[in-house]
Amino acid sequence: MPGRIFVLRCLFLVLYAGAQAGQVGFLSAQEVDFAQEVQPLLARRCYACHGPDQQEGGFRFDDRDTLVVEADSGEVPIVPGDPGASELLRRIRSDDDSERMPPEGKPLTEAEVALLEAWIAGGAEFTRHWAFQPVQRHRLPQVRDVGWLHSGIDAFILARLEQAGLRPAPQAQAEVLIRRVFLDITGLPPTPEQVVEWADRWSDAKYQRLVDTLLADPAFGEHWARMWLDVVRYAETNSFERDGAKPNAWKYRDYVINSFNADKPYNQFLREQIAGDELQPVTPESLTATGFYRLGLWDDEPADPLLAEFDGYDDIVTTISQAMLGLTLNCARCHDHKIDPLTQRDYYSMLACVRDVTPYGVRSDQTGNNQIDLNPEVAQRHEALAQRKKVIQRRLQHIEKNAIVKMPAPDQRATEGPERERVLREKLAEYTTEKLYAEYQQLKRELEEILAEQRRLPPRETVLGLAKVDAVPKPTHILLRGNPHSPGEEVGPAFPSLLGGGAPDLSAVPEGARSSGRRRALADWLADDRNWMTPRVIVNRLWLHYFGRGIVRSPNNFGLMGDPPTHPELLDYLATELVRGDWSLKRMHRMILLSATYRMSSRFDARAAAIDPQNDLFWRQNLRRLSAEQVRDGVLVASGGLNSQLGGPSMFPTLSAEVLASQSRPGNGWGNSSAADQARRSIYIHVKRSLPVPLLKVFDFPETDTSCEARFLTTQPGQALSMLNSQWMQQQAAALLERVERECGLDLTAQARRCLELVTSLPPQAADVDELVDLVQRLKQGHGLSDRQARQAMCLVALNLNSFLYID
Amino acid sequence: MPARRDFCGRTRREFLWQTGAGFGAVALASLLEEDGFFCKPARGAEAVQANPLAEKPPHFAPQAKSVIFLFMYGGPSHIDTFDYKPSMIGMDGKTVNVKTFGRGGHRNQGRIVEPRWKFQRYGQCGKWVSDLFPNLATCVDDIAFLHSMTADSPIHGSAMLMMNSGRILSGAPALGSWVNYGLGTVNQNLPGFVVMLDPTGGPISGAKNWSSGYMPATYQGTVLRSEGSPILDLQPPLGTTRRVQREMLDSISAINRRHMDARHGDDALSARIASYELAYKMQQHAPEAVDLSTESQETLDLYGVHDPRTDDFARRCIIARRLVERGVRCIQLYSGGAHNDDNWDAHGDLEANHNKHAGATDRPVAALLKDLKRRGLLDSTLVVWGGEFGRQPTAEYAKGTGRDHNAYGFTMWMAGGGIKGGISVGATDELGSAAVERPLHVKHLHATILHQLGLDPNRLSYFYSGLDQKLVGVEHVEPIREVIG
Repeated sequence: MPGRIFVLRCLFLVLYAGAQAGQVGFLSAQEVDFAQEVQPLLARRCYACHGPDQQEGGFRFDDRDTLVVEADSGEVPIVPGDPGASELLRRIRSDDDSERMPPEGKPLTEAEVALLEAWIAGGAEFTRHWAFQPVQRHRLPQVRDVGWLHSGIDAFILARLEQAGLRPAPQAQAEVLIRRVFLDITGLPPTPEQVVEWADRWSDAKYQRLVDTLLADPAFGEHWARMWLDVVRYAETNSFERDGAKPNAWKYRDYVINSFNADKPYNQFLREQIAGDELQPVTPESLTATGFYRLGLWDDEPADPLLAEFDGYDDIVTTISQAMLGLTLNCARCHDHKIDPLTQRDYYSMLACVRDVTPYGVRSDQTGNNQIDLNPEVAQRHEALAQRKKVIQRRLQHIEKNAIVKMPAPDQRATEGPERERVLREKLAEYTTEKLYAEYQQLKRELEEILAEQRRLPPRETVLGLAKVDAVPKPTHILLRGNPHSPGEEVGPAFPSLLGGGAPDLSAVPEGARSSGRRRALADWLADDRNWMTPRVIVNRLWLHYFGRGIVRSPNNFGLMGDPPTHPELLDYLATELVRGDWSLKRMHRMILLSATYRMSSRFDARAAAIDPQNDLFWRQNLRRLSAEQVRDGVLVASGGLNSQLGGPSMFPTLSAEVLASQSRPGNGWGNSSAADQARRSIYIHVKRSLPVPLLKVFDFPETDTSCEARFLTTQPGQALSMLNSQWMQQQAAALLERVERECGLDLTAQARRCLELVTSLPPQAADVDELVDLVQRLKQGHGLSDRQARQAMCLVALNLNSFLYID
Repeated sequence: MPARRDFCGRTRREFLWQTGAGFGAVALASLLEEDGFFCKPARGAEAVQANPLAEKPPHFAPQAKSVIFLFMYGGPSHIDTFDYKPSMIGMDGKTVNVKTFGRGGHRNQGRIVEPRWKFQRYGQCGKWVSDLFPNLATCVDDIAFLHSMTADSPIHGSAMLMMNSGRILSGAPALGSWVNYGLGTVNQNLPGFVVMLDPTGGPISGAKNWSSGYMPATYQGTVLRSEGSPILDLQPPLGTTRRVQREMLDSISAINRRHMDARHGDDALSARIASYELAYKMQQHAPEAVDLSTESQETLDLYGVHDPRTDDFARRCIIARRLVERGVRCIQLYSGGAHNDDNWDAHGDLEANHNKHAGATDRPVAALLKDLKRRGLLDSTLVVWGGEFGRQPTAEYAKGTGRDHNAYGFTMWMAGGGIKGGISVGATDELGSAAVERPLHVKHLHATILHQLGLDPNRLSYFYSGLDQKLVGVEHVEPIREVIG
């Protein structure tokens, strides 16, 4: 009975929590860490009234000097070394509601009070928040069990485990590890045959070979690109009423896949996205990278165009600061950041760096700013025709408009919809002059000729990106309360003072240049070896995907409100290794994958869990659920239907009529793809903002409107309904049945075994095989199902197993 | 830092990630709770309150348990419905100076389109209501009218997002998601936030209107249909009976339990096993909730079922009541869908458009209020009526009666759920072109809805993107006190 297990476990936790009460920081009980523990608490509970924004009583908790002297009240908030004399402690402990601090919310917990007390007793020293200091290269810590170590990573992990009296879990068995690395590197499960082949004469060298083989597989890029697409809010439409498609967005997606597969240095990868049009040399690839700027929301009909323009910049500043720097600079749009030392000036100075980026488009020209021609000569010929076409169309519209205004209201209304052409055909002559009508007819003919000529030209090769930029950007002002109608002081491009600040040197930008050079400067600063946020943020993202959580659990927020790193020294070690290895990401993947830490079993250990229930110290590998894409792709692998074609335009899985009925124009913007295309990997599914694909959404495919730092991992009945009842799953179960029939003949036991093997990649348990065989018998004998129906049900059951859905 | 670990030793965020919440997941929580899944408080009451899955206590005693939002998509004309403008009588066709802003842009002048329906006084409060709503007019003593509503955008796309999520940009959670996040849901077997669409189609931006935005997808609205399978993928395919599905679930469960037994301490595995049982229960309960066969003939007639004009909306209104009875927190019904005259967007022929949509909804909405009241449910059910904006007093075209959008002033109403009846708040100018007295913003409406449900709109927050995000925005917003009973 699982019930009993949980009761025991919970009882255990209660006992554990009781034992912890009043104890400070069980992970490093010896001393209080100001930056990791005290400052976040002060920020959360005190800054609102005594912080950067307000200084009630004349002191602020982000400035030690104001705390150790008499406040306006005459009391001294903090007397270093003497908790008893510190007014702060008296006030937070007070039983009197009118006195107790903080005045709002719950009183501090005993543990929090104890933390502050210990900190004051120890001298109330302020140290800088961990992330706001340069990366430090730490020496590898000493450990007792040196035999366990496979890489530098392991020393940092093991040292902490040994300190806490814990042992790392044993290495996972070969088959488990093989399935894990396949899924973690390529996103796809191995075939049972691959597992057997690799597990044969298993050795350390063989494991290394497996890792290298998988890192060289193009499926690696397809899997890991999705990580980046989440972070940069990738979608292929604009949202809002029309939710129009962004032409060529998929080329940006392919750019990311190819960059990861080619192991493009991460700093170059960033440079290309930020300033791919300003680099030397500019390449089709680097131009495609600037699609980064064009992935966000775009309202083609904004109520307040100026506000919309700045919402566009906010999207860019937010994405750059969170995705690349791990900072929530967006919080400083309307006022200085309430918690982190980021000012409104920092925000607008960053905005000034990207001020030459033009809006995505305007309603009358939705491509000019965002479609870059890779072949200018062909483009010019197209352009010339387009110009002629435009002139004619303008004249045509003029004639039409003058006629339409004379028509009855219902006809006028009809001309705004799909009926327009019909109304004009039938009624234009009646409401215009003979002469104009003749001209109209003539222009129509000319237009036809132009269209024919256009069709004869070779197609333009275009990519989504920064097709137009402002060489001389408009001035940037600090906007009061974030209101674009209230410009304040003018600011120039500069980098956040928190990270050393500085302004770009733009003297090298030649007269008449196509762009301002500001983004190039920003790119160089972001990608500089000395930028201490950039490498930390990306290595943390890699770690997140290999362990189910980052070393910093809030990957987009390394600030005071984020979660402190569980292993700060390891994070810095990885960051320095990235830079040392010339920003090669594959080298970092490999380093993590080859570590003993990654290779640990995910087996539960009651003793370790009692000491470290959250697995903060990594005493085992975490059991992880497959992502939405891994679920869908894994089903296709099991059924044998996966089409592994690389790259190209996105495809449209068939959606049921009831799903399309949620649209105001059912089916609008959703294409038809061939069965072969629909069997491609999930990363190739068209991402339409207003029409999420149910199977992906139910397994936590993210909201694409803003950067997603880490996906939710929910468990809900909608997943079961999708996996059992959706038409797609029915089809996949049928395909799986065909496959096992083909491979095993009609023997039921052999089919059941094969089914389980295909779904889990591993040799099945006899009891599970028996269960499936028994199910088929029950369905046939007890419920009158045909043999085929019963066997298909068996396949569907196999696809619903936790051994499929989870990575050990 | 033990203090940060409140949820069985996890941080709040991890707990959410691992278990999710909302649709079904709350049910999951209570199911698991029976199994002793959730640990009891370690210190004081803190840990119990922190469980995000269970039905959560409100911030203060709520007056409403559920909210039904009757969304008049497209934007009904306030001066033709509830905002009586006697001074416009006789002005038809006159050109006046009036500032308007609609999809046609900013204008300073326009041709008056006199309200096309007669108004009469109704109820003890003597409220003027147009002939578009003869049935609803008999309920005015239960209704609080908000005549001075304003919104940030007169464009459908952004205005819909604003009315549903408080922001003109997509990506934020819908009102119903906030309610589910704040209160959890009481019914194990139904989603807590239900959306019922018009048969002509969804509103523009579709699913964005009931998205959970940056919250887990489990808080998003679930589209419920009155015909066919009520919820997507709820029903097994043809040929799979309930007993067959039970057999399959038993096999899944048997194998999954063996899998779990080898993996002590991973709660996700047992949660997933339980989620299949919940799915099975939902398959039974969701169809029952939309099944009107147990409704009396008198009730069906009251709402207008079988009258072709009102049949569809009548059925959905009865289902809304049935969902309220079953503990669903937030139900949104769309009157109108798709484009043009399939909804209230009366740009062409105002009369034909509003006669059609008012005709389809007047009787069902009145019946809903009366039915809730006689069953003693109106006191605890907040009913909200309105569109994403109103319409202009002037004509959009040189000829005809069509009106463009108007976000400067429009009318919405609320009833039940602790709202005072028979009152009106705020006013527009004598043409109804803009709110002039006690201007109200969409966020005041949202604040009032949350407040009636027992949630402090200025306290209900979700940490995302470095900020404590709120439905009503970062600045303090007062509920509309005048309408609170």
